[in-house]
Amino acid sequence: MIIEILAIGLIISAVLALFLDEVVYSVAALAATFLLTALIYVLNGAVFAGIFQFAVSIGTLAILFLSGEMLGEKPSKKASSLRIGGLVGVGFLLSLPAIFLSVSGVSHVAPDVEFGDALWNLRGVDVLLQAIVILTVAIGISIVLFERRKK
Amino acid sequence: MDYVILSIVLLFIGIYGLLTKRQLLKVFISIELIATAATLNFIMLASPQGMGEALLVLAFSVDTAISAVILALLVIVSKHYGTSDITKIVAKLKENEVEESEVETQ
Repeated sequence: MIIEILAIGLIISAVLALFLDEVVYSVAALAATFLLTALIYVLNGAVFAGIFQFAVSIGTLAILFLSGEMLGEKPSKKASSLRIGGLVGVGFLLSLPAIFLSVSGVSHVAPDVEFGDALWNLRGVDVLLQAIVILTVAIGISIVLFERRKK
Repeated sequence: MDYVILSIVLLFIGIYGLLTKRQLLKVFISIELIATAATLNFIMLASPQGMGEALLVLAFSVDTAISAVILALLVIVSKHYGTSDITKIVAKLKENEVEESEVETQ
């Protein structure tokens, strides 16, 4: 039950981090996202990962607060409580599939292999995806070079 | 509770922000959300959990390095163009290009 509440909070804070107009509030919501992620790690037995996430996120957030204050443009009007309530509602709705649906037990690779095992043991998929990414980058670079030569 | 769906939702929130937000800091926050979604999978789907934690350390190191580079670029670009809005920066870049081409033709 606690993890479900943390997951809802995680999605809500992620939505608020992205859609709040004031940059400082946005960074505060991102801090909540990182903190909740660290708590989820700790509650799942990955204490080391939780502490690491917490430590790294503090550094990132300190710099983000500074640069947010320095670079952030002040919004013309303050966010209304109705908008914030709407964002919280959207975050809550987005977190529902994670709580009520499940894909981890299902695998289309082989019937007796779970999703986690498939991701970790059958590495062909991510090798293929990496190849696609590298190919796309190579095509992109060659197009840029071709355009430059044309000029 | 399914962590795969949780990380997919986080990933899509991040991608949506990356595609729609015009402020550079919001783009950076979107990248951080995408990185969080990826690292969540390292912990939750690792078959021996220690393996996932070891890979998470690597992912965090890369993520921090990326954050440092992005923030440095962000500060330079914002100071150079006087704004952190991508559309305004692109408009100024186009203005500069037009001015350069006019100077070349003269």
